[in-house]
Amino acid sequence: MGGDKEKSIIEKFLEENVLFLGPDPEIMEDHSVVPTTPREAEALRTFTDPDQINLVRHKLQTACNESFDMVEQMGAAPGAKWGDLISGVWTANGDLAMASMGGVLIFSVLTQHPVKFILKYWKDDPTVGLKDGDIFMHNDARYGNIHNTDQSLVIPVFHNGELVCFTGAIVHEGENGAIEPGGMPSAAESPFDEGLKMSPIKVGENYEFKRDIMTFLQNSVREPKLQLEGMKSKFFAAMRMKSRVEDAIAEYGVDAVVATLRKTLTDTEAEVRRRLACWPDGKVRTNVFADGTLRENCLIRIRCELHKQHDSLIIDFRGSSPEFLNRPNNTVLASLKGMLAQEFLSFVWPDLPRNQAVFAPMTVLTDRKSALHCSPDAPNAQSMMTFFPGFTAIQIGVPKFLYSSSHRATDVIAGWYNMIVTFLYGGINQYGELVGNVCADLNGMGGAARWNRDGEHSLAPIFAPMADIGEQELIEEEVPLIKIVPHRLMKDGEGFGKFRGGHGYQQIATMKDSSMWGFMCCSIGSKFPTTYGIFGGYGPGSLPLCKVKGVNVFDVMQDSRDLMRYTIPEIMNERPFSGAKYSTHHMGLQLEFAQPGELYMITQGGGGGYGDVLERDPALVAKDFLDGLLSMRSVQEIYHVVLDDKTGAVDVDATEKARDAERQMRKARGKPYHEFVKEWETEKPPRDVPFYGSWKDRALIYRGSPDDTCPADDIRSVMMPNPKDVRIAELEAQLEALRGGADVERANRRS
Amino acid sequence: MRRVSVDIGGTFTDCFLAYDSRYVEAKALTTHHNLAAGFMEALGKACEELGESVQTVLANVDAVRYGTTLGTNSLIQRNGPRVGLLTTAGFESSVPLMRARGYGDGLSDAEQTDLPGADRPVPLVPIPMIVGIRERMDYKGVSALAVDDEDVRSQVRRLVDQGAQAFVVALTNAVVNPAHEIEVERIILSEYPTHVLGAIPIVLSHRVAGRKAEYSRTMSAVLDAYLHDQMYHGMSTLEIVLRQNGYKRPMLLVHNTSGMAQLNSTHALQTIHSGPVAGLEASNYLSAQFKEPNIIATDMGGTSFDIGLVTADGVKFYDFNPVIDRWLVSTPMTYLHTLGAGGGSIARYDRLWDAVEVGPASAGSDPGPACYGRGGKLPTTTDANLVLGYLDEQNYAGGTIKINKRRAERAIDEHICKPAGLSLIDGAKAIKRKVDANMANAIFKEVAVKGYNPKNFVILSYGGGGPIHACGYASRLGINRVLIPPFSSVFSALGAGNMDGLHIHEKSLYLMLYDATRRTMLEDFTVFNETVAELEQRGREDLARQDVKPEQIKIRVELDMRYGNQLAQIGVTSPLSRLASMQDVITLLDRFSVNYAQRFGEGSQAPEAGVRINVIRVVSYVEHERLDLRQSTQRTDEKPKPTSQRQCWFPEISEALMTDVYDYQAVREGMTVAGPALIETPRTTYLVEPGWTLTMGLSGSAWLVKA
Repeated sequence: MGGDKEKSIIEKFLEENVLFLGPDPEIMEDHSVVPTTPREAEALRTFTDPDQINLVRHKLQTACNESFDMVEQMGAAPGAKWGDLISGVWTANGDLAMASMGGVLIFSVLTQHPVKFILKYWKDDPTVGLKDGDIFMHNDARYGNIHNTDQSLVIPVFHNGELVCFTGAIVHEGENGAIEPGGMPSAAESPFDEGLKMSPIKVGENYEFKRDIMTFLQNSVREPKLQLEGMKSKFFAAMRMKSRVEDAIAEYGVDAVVATLRKTLTDTEAEVRRRLACWPDGKVRTNVFADGTLRENCLIRIRCELHKQHDSLIIDFRGSSPEFLNRPNNTVLASLKGMLAQEFLSFVWPDLPRNQAVFAPMTVLTDRKSALHCSPDAPNAQSMMTFFPGFTAIQIGVPKFLYSSSHRATDVIAGWYNMIVTFLYGGINQYGELVGNVCADLNGMGGAARWNRDGEHSLAPIFAPMADIGEQELIEEEVPLIKIVPHRLMKDGEGFGKFRGGHGYQQIATMKDSSMWGFMCCSIGSKFPTTYGIFGGYGPGSLPLCKVKGVNVFDVMQDSRDLMRYTIPEIMNERPFSGAKYSTHHMGLQLEFAQPGELYMITQGGGGGYGDVLERDPALVAKDFLDGLLSMRSVQEIYHVVLDDKTGAVDVDATEKARDAERQMRKARGKPYHEFVKEWETEKPPRDVPFYGSWKDRALIYRGSPDDTCPADDIRSVMMPNPKDVRIAELEAQLEALRGGADVERANRRS
Repeated sequence: MRRVSVDIGGTFTDCFLAYDSRYVEAKALTTHHNLAAGFMEALGKACEELGESVQTVLANVDAVRYGTTLGTNSLIQRNGPRVGLLTTAGFESSVPLMRARGYGDGLSDAEQTDLPGADRPVPLVPIPMIVGIRERMDYKGVSALAVDDEDVRSQVRRLVDQGAQAFVVALTNAVVNPAHEIEVERIILSEYPTHVLGAIPIVLSHRVAGRKAEYSRTMSAVLDAYLHDQMYHGMSTLEIVLRQNGYKRPMLLVHNTSGMAQLNSTHALQTIHSGPVAGLEASNYLSAQFKEPNIIATDMGGTSFDIGLVTADGVKFYDFNPVIDRWLVSTPMTYLHTLGAGGGSIARYDRLWDAVEVGPASAGSDPGPACYGRGGKLPTTTDANLVLGYLDEQNYAGGTIKINKRRAERAIDEHICKPAGLSLIDGAKAIKRKVDANMANAIFKEVAVKGYNPKNFVILSYGGGGPIHACGYASRLGINRVLIPPFSSVFSALGAGNMDGLHIHEKSLYLMLYDATRRTMLEDFTVFNETVAELEQRGREDLARQDVKPEQIKIRVELDMRYGNQLAQIGVTSPLSRLASMQDVITLLDRFSVNYAQRFGEGSQAPEAGVRINVIRVVSYVEHERLDLRQSTQRTDEKPKPTSQRQCWFPEISEALMTDVYDYQAVREGMTVAGPALIETPRTTYLVEPGWTLTMGLSGSAWLVKA
């Protein structure tokens, strides 16, 4: 048998004997736009006038926005209500060509994958097929989207038997039956702890959901009501958009729609390339560290090199941390790309349209089985813990290019705060319903300082403009969660600089009127800041989770109202409730049941600063001081401003002297760069800090110890011990030591 | 009927005077320094046309009705009092943070998506003027922490020391149980009683807004406090001027709820945007008079394009959380969508799409379109209209504004034609086409998102720019009939003259009609019935204060209902004002189901997830005598004679067409003009596009109909 024939037989056998259709790397690792098909080329020849195409585009854009409104209105998930969703139109090839103006822009780049999976595997499969009236859903992030809490729904749009496009929506639904309520389990140790795992699946035909599948899905989650409402809202929004596409076909012809979708993608990519070409060529390197896995403290390196050449950008993350096989902080490569696209869509070129072509000119390099390109065996429910730092790595690098670019679409900024500091919750609400979800407070991330002015306080999450932190009264109406302090600006919670970052806020939560209620948190940055300043500006501080347990503050305060404090530092420093237990932790809190009146406290971080603190206008320092945003210590020791603590009046001469003195001190502290490097640099990472990622050589990856390494092109996944086992071992060692001591003492006594 | 109605806009003060069977319209420039001056000038012109003195008219009219932008101006100029805010301790940052998303409230889509460039507005209440007081009410209205008298006193003193000129008290869950807000008011009054000179006005949030949501309710109260003095003094000045001229009755203020009330029954917040709402109310009435049940009301001015809906099913569309200036508030305002599209909208070439874009940036009236010659260099919609031949360079706006065609050509050539590679005419056509498409898309979304088919509607076009573009955007929507209403240039003032006395009171509550978890229906109707009764009583008191007799008062009960935990709260007009049986509950569920399906599609309803009432709203009103908009003159079948001809270009026709130009006075009731044609009035131009025909109707109205 000839070699070719044998090869063909083997390929045929392998093709026919697939165990199951898991995530397809060919789909998942390719973020480029599908090349123009003959059908599209024909349409583009027929329908050529750019102004006419613009009219069709505007019509379809209106449809996307209309359906976005529908999902937001009809959705029951907190995420839907604050706009954690997107609705759009995909080409017949599965590329997202148009999306709603609002919502989470990460989805712009990573919703294509499930649609392409449907086209590749189900369209021609006789047991599934793709026909008019079909409804498909999906939520497993390994097949696309960000994490399993996001559910997508698409329907095909046919015209005279021709598949014209898909319409649909993706929503962060929250609860999904994972090991912890709320949909983003930080306790997940395998993908099987992460709840519902829909690969792209047909859930309805003839424009109707199949009741058996609907029931299966409802049966798989803690909130069957939410599942039902979520599916209906996405479906009817997709139907509305389908109807609008049909209107456009009726008005302009099917070629017009096909041509418009294609040209939208082509023009977008061309525009991004034109803009990139305005940047100077060169390389910028950044390093960012995640300080934990949400279960334990450690240092996870995100290594980034941005290489701009002509009209393309290579984003190189090779040398970053290995994946954690039993922690959920791993990122699927496609999710990483989605988050990186966010930088360009929101922070560099917010005027660009929302579609996947925006990211097409970028190349992303990663090591397989790294934390930013994890294998399907690694859980990813908390991928934000690595891809948000990945985002920051490029966000603090891009200004180096923009600074001297001939084209800017918005202000150059420092690092935006990047963590989802909020409470997830689960339990029985005041109406006896089992609920689990996430609070909207994550949407108040502190804005970065700008090149010419301060950052705004708690403005928006890094993944969506116009996101809402909600109204406490409406939250309390649905769940038994009471915020003693819902959002209170945090003193000194900024990245200092000539222009300071915006502040974050503190939140003090408790529970009332529930028989069972638990809190969770899922943020890093309690030991090492997660975002940074630029051009001399500071990063914000690191922020812990604080708890006051063993007390019902409502009972105590009935008699002693003055006991309550309304800031975390006051509560933790003054400890006003006698007998209570006060503690601080990193912000990775797995589901912990709370008693009524116990306090859980976290702080949303601030944005990074821009420029040298000594150049900050003293009047701005004084204003922040009077607004309660800045302590006198920071006034004096960071900004070196002298002011009256009652009136805020600045002593100009004294300030100038103080600043001159600090400049002299800086010179005294300074040393030549090579001396600094000599003192600073070590051959290996420190032994006392569990370090993950490359150190000097990006080809060699450290796995938590200076003695444990693997090559970057053959990463061995990390397995972390259970923190409880670690703690038990520590306690046993202490017990052993005590016993040993006692034995020695006994032996001594005996002797 | 004898009635004066005045609408004060940013540029013009419009007056509509109904004096027995005679209706007169007049305009004057708005006098921002003293609104009474413009008011009296407009009224003077109307009286002059009537042949009566102002004093005679004012002494004999039943009512003076007044819509004003005074409040909006005060917000823009930031000249309100220094407001001190007392809020629940822990909630001090709620107002400064504006729910995070508030940075973008009141801005365009493009501005909202630009996060690095985002700036919150200068605050109405700076951080040092916000204090927290120790108290807490839970979601059910149970006090979790009582008000601390000493704490309140010390915080109030702190605010006074910092110069507070007005207090706002906004405490958590006060709409469910206002006891703590009332207690704080009592304490403040004990410190600063009303009869002393140092008295400081106090606004309690639950009295301004009845809905849960602490930020938007607090902002409602803040705006109320901020605008109160300005509004009160402005109104009082006007009232004095009216009294000096012989008017003896109370002045009526137009509300943004589509009703009106006396000064003593009006919150400042209720007057914002009252002009456009009055226009929509006029559309509502016109719908009945002209027997056109489905109307899309469009008002195109210099910078904006307002869209409102009148539907055959009588559904009232409200915006419960409107944005006023840059502030999200909680007040039921008649819903209007405003698009940044007007004569001043700036056109540009978009490199990305190789196409022409228009708006939302606007040249406004200063510097205005390039053709105005006031420094504007960028091409606008008006410039395109001039180049295409629709406007008369020698007789624009009745000759009151000089325009220069050469400037318009230069701007379009420089900014559109050169980069796009288009001829001058093609560039101007592209602008016209895009403006029409923008307006059509906005209308489509507004109508479709509410579940209606635009093709079943007639377009009502008023405002200075509307009648030039009406054929264009109607064509794109597939709508074949456009009505230009009587008195179209003072249509909002006409609307003010046609409103009822009306008050809306609402209250948040959590009332499950169907509990999906327990699978139970509402059986105890006490809360529903008592809430409606309480709100009815408040409405009756408002109207009684204005001398309305109890038997004249009518009541409408509206419910905001929702499935499960959805965000969507659909307003349902309840056929019942009291619940007495399970059948009544089913009736409400059915009514809600119908409304929901209309908006989101049949089958989208989700009663399986539970159904609840979130807000009960009671509309208390007294009907006033209405205008007759069907007054007929002598109909004629004669052909009107054009005054001139000029070449005009149209987007879908390659060559210029010689177009007849008519003076509006020559086109009388019953006359028909086939397109292409232009009908010029002193205030606007009607463009009859090819394929369309204009027929003059009753009371100076005009129909544009596409063959």
